Amino acid sequence: MTLKYARGWIAAALLLLPSAADAHIIAARLGDFYMGALHPFTDLQDVILWTAMGVLAGSLGASKGRWLILVFPLGLLAGLAVGRMFGPVTGGLADASMLLVIGVLLAAAARIPTVLLCAIAFGLAALRGAANGSDLAPDTDRLLFAAGLACAGYTVVTLTMALTVMFRPTAADPTSWQAIAVRALGGWIAAIGLMMASFALAS
Amino acid sequence: MTAIRYLRLALLVLAALMQPALLRAHEASMGVLEFHEVRHGVYIGRWTMEPSIGAARVDLRVPSHCLLRLPEVNCGERGLVGPITIANLGANMAVVLIKLVPLAGEPRSYTISTANPVASILGTGAPTLQTWIELAKTYVNYGIDHILLGADHLLFVLGLIWIVGGGWRLVKTITAFTIGHSASLAAAAFGLIGVPERPLNACIALSIAFVGVEIVKQQRGEIGLTARHPWAVAFTFGLVHGIGFASALAGLGLERRLLPAALLFFNIGVEIGQLAFVLLVLALIWAHRRLDAVLPRWGEALPAYAIGSVSMFWFFGRLVRVLAPI
Repeated sequence: MTLKYARGWIAAALLLLPSAADAHIIAARLGDFYMGALHPFTDLQDVILWTAMGVLAGSLGASKGRWLILVFPLGLLAGLAVGRMFGPVTGGLADASMLLVIGVLLAAAARIPTVLLCAIAFGLAALRGAANGSDLAPDTDRLLFAAGLACAGYTVVTLTMALTVMFRPTAADPTSWQAIAVRALGGWIAAIGLMMASFALAS
Repeated sequence: MTAIRYLRLALLVLAALMQPALLRAHEASMGVLEFHEVRHGVYIGRWTMEPSIGAARVDLRVPSHCLLRLPEVNCGERGLVGPITIANLGANMAVVLIKLVPLAGEPRSYTISTANPVASILGTGAPTLQTWIELAKTYVNYGIDHILLGADHLLFVLGLIWIVGGGWRLVKTITAFTIGHSASLAAAAFGLIGVPERPLNACIALSIAFVGVEIVKQQRGEIGLTARHPWAVAFTFGLVHGIGFASALAGLGLERRLLPAALLFFNIGVEIGQLAFVLLVLALIWAHRRLDAVLPRWGEALPAYAIGSVSMFWFFGRLVRVLAPI
């Protein structure tokens, strides 16, 4: 039992650790556009949150989800701009809460309206955009970095939504194994969010 | 005549607005370091062109078996073989040319840049397995970097995908582009053909504008040359783009005996980067179809005009550099 908890804490710690990979190596090799595009992939929080957002949008169907193709990259850009003006506005607890909300919505198979989906996506993207822009070197070309970050956000969310729509068509029977699998995934995402929130509160 | 003079004046003004800061920065950020072998495995280094940050601040890294105590580099019996890099490359020091003058054999030079931060010193003896591995690592990476940083090449490929769509037609088109640029890359690298870099870059920009026009034609229901014979267009412009790829290999001081292998590895790197880009674009097209997220009718021509506008911006910028070299 102790080992089980230890594993959980280690996983949570890994999620909250700052980026292990040095994104500036990417910048030196391929420039600031690719640094912006690859920077989110050096942080597990971005990978999990972006993917969870894509799965939630995809599970609500193409007609609702496709708005995120524009809303998500715009949120990242807005977050980057706000972060530049006011500093990073995100913390471990905010990310964990977002993950928890997305997980619960997925697990409950809640049919939320498009406006609410867009608001959640924009908020999450803005938080992560600010976080990504917080540790930029003074000589980083912010325009190229922002373009790279927005392209990465667009690519990840679009592909995740399409894969989810393909896996679980909206018209599918709610008792089908695909629908249950997506809800189970939501449960896991919520659990990760809860774990992260506990760790953030405890530390 | 007067019109041409006015055009030239306008282009000069444009050049003055667009280029000087960039060019000054580039020149100031270069350095040249020469290593002379004084006895077997022992080299003495000297900066013949000091970078703007100062020689003392350059963080030079030599192969692990070498002892670096500048100006001396002592590599013992194995000699100076292996990777050399500079850890603090950046905007203030983007390119460093390293010249090696051995006791026996031809002097060689290697370029370390932010795009290719590691130079593999290959030694003067017969190539060993290690030599080939180092060569492959260096040039495959260099090829990948070159295509990923070549926004003009990628935009041309994107235009081709837009016109051709998917399936076998796309496979044939991309293969024709690959054959075209591989042939001209080899010919240019071996010195069989030579085209000045600046006019060539302007032509590459024009090739993208051509693809933009072809997309507009297709959207209007006209059957353009690319729609009819995509492989022929891809092959022809592939020849032009290949000479552009060759310019990336120029000035690296590569030995002639290793040139064919380096060329092969560089081309493999270019193909890996190109294939990754094509697959990503196809995946995104599939995703948009799956989500039924297509452009509204009024916006259908936007991508073509965007491709055309960007390419013409590049064309005029490059033409300025042809007409008014600074």
